[in-house]
Amino acid sequence: MTRHRQRWWLAGVALWTLVPIAALVVRALARAWRYPQILPGAGDAWPMFGAAATGRLTEALMTSLVLAMAIGPASAVIGFTIGRAIARAPRPARRVGLALALFLVIAPPTALGVGLQVATLAIGVGGTLFGVFLAHLVPAAGYLTLFAVGIFTTFDFVLEEEARTLGARPWQVWSRITIPILRRRLAEAVVLGALVSWGQVALTLLIGGGVVRTLPVELLSFVRSGSDQLGALAALAVSVPPMLAIGLLQVGIRRTGATL
Amino acid sequence: MTRGNAPAAIASLVLASPVVIGAAYSGLAAVGAVGAGADGLSGAALVHVLTSSVTWQGVAWTVATAGVATFLATAAAVVVAVRVRGSRTGRLLAVLPMGVPHVAAALAALLMLGQSGLLSRLARLAGLTAIPSDFPALVYDQAGVALVIASAWKEFPYLALTALAVLLTDAARLEEVARTLGATSTQAFWRITWPRVWLGTAPAALAAFAFLLGQYEMPALLAPSNPTALALLTYERSIDPMLARRAEAHVLALLALVISASIVILYARLQHRGQSESA
Repeated sequence: MTRHRQRWWLAGVALWTLVPIAALVVRALARAWRYPQILPGAGDAWPMFGAAATGRLTEALMTSLVLAMAIGPASAVIGFTIGRAIARAPRPARRVGLALALFLVIAPPTALGVGLQVATLAIGVGGTLFGVFLAHLVPAAGYLTLFAVGIFTTFDFVLEEEARTLGARPWQVWSRITIPILRRRLAEAVVLGALVSWGQVALTLLIGGGVVRTLPVELLSFVRSGSDQLGALAALAVSVPPMLAIGLLQVGIRRTGATL
Repeated sequence: MTRGNAPAAIASLVLASPVVIGAAYSGLAAVGAVGAGADGLSGAALVHVLTSSVTWQGVAWTVATAGVATFLATAAAVVVAVRVRGSRTGRLLAVLPMGVPHVAAALAALLMLGQSGLLSRLARLAGLTAIPSDFPALVYDQAGVALVIASAWKEFPYLALTALAVLLTDAARLEEVARTLGATSTQAFWRITWPRVWLGTAPAALAAFAFLLGQYEMPALLAPSNPTALALLTYERSIDPMLARRAEAHVLALLALVISASIVILYARLQHRGQSESA
């Protein structure tokens, strides 16, 4: 393919992926974006937010951050523990385990939430941050189990066995062999788990009962009430961390010499 | 059970327990045994939901929009992956929307495709329309155009990443072998690259389809109220002020879980077949 043709393809991909993101940036930064303006006028260029709206956004951002920071490590621990057991199992058991993990990932959040809603209410955590944490943990554990199975499939368990034959206790094998080897993958898993929680809407609405307001929930609420500008601002706030994570992952991959 | 299976079985049980508990509760609530508004065992909710045209129209509409979006995203991802595989910038651009959550992507679609959105403004600039209502309604429309485009945009990077992974490892090596054996670049592409990429992307496409079937936030912002997407219908019933109707949410949830479970089984079979063929 000629260089010229590839440039056209790159321009097309850039248009497809970047224009919607640019539309969010423009809407977030403009006080008004009146039809038929292609770009907002100079007088509308600066955003104006009321204290109440800013407070709602900040509070939602903090809630999302707390949840993501709790879900990341918790789901990594669960995912790696379950993923390790599944990866070491004979093929039939492994297939069942993988199918169950995939089911947690693709099961509709509303369908999961309807059942979980009652379970969380029954144990007295419905409508609380802890209840939402437990609900987010379900898909996050599914994602990280799939992630961990991939890692443990190629993991060299001989190192652990050698340490054991040399007299290391189980916790020493974990702290001196397994965790140092998997340190980087664990860090990636924590980020992935946090991102799964970061984007949840339906589970938060069903389990949080409208009391727990995360950033995506506020975004939905802003747009439904016609506050497009605040919605766009929330959309940027909710999109920047995952995009940064993807960028960092790309840098990390490039440093390791991988191709993608 | 063999000794090697035991830890995996326990792990799988732990993993599945929240869904099993939730589904069991939904099963009981669907027949009126438990839950808000329950008044003794009855199959009324079950019969009402499963014989209602609203349910099946919603299911058909959800399957159709998710199917079209998955097809468009897969086709675009495969073509783009083939065209930009040699460019680092192209690969980065292709995966960038992955970082944008679905709810943010839905708002971007509103800003782009609404009747006073960016496309409508460009149409006016080009002299094709004069006022917003001249522009076709792509949002909240029965065809679900905005929903399909937004869903395709959101699933595209995930599928492009999968297609790129196949292209940059397996297919690239085989294509090179074919070329050294005398195949032209066109022959190598159609006989080696294309089937490998298509086969390698199929399980990811199935997963994307399943994911779109259960999506709540995109239909919440872009879909019409008639027909109602399955996820919206389930959510609406689950918060219905008429407590008696909440049992219907449990029936709908079970229906969605059955559809997802069928896709998981199909996915596992597809993966198994792929592994058997490559072995």
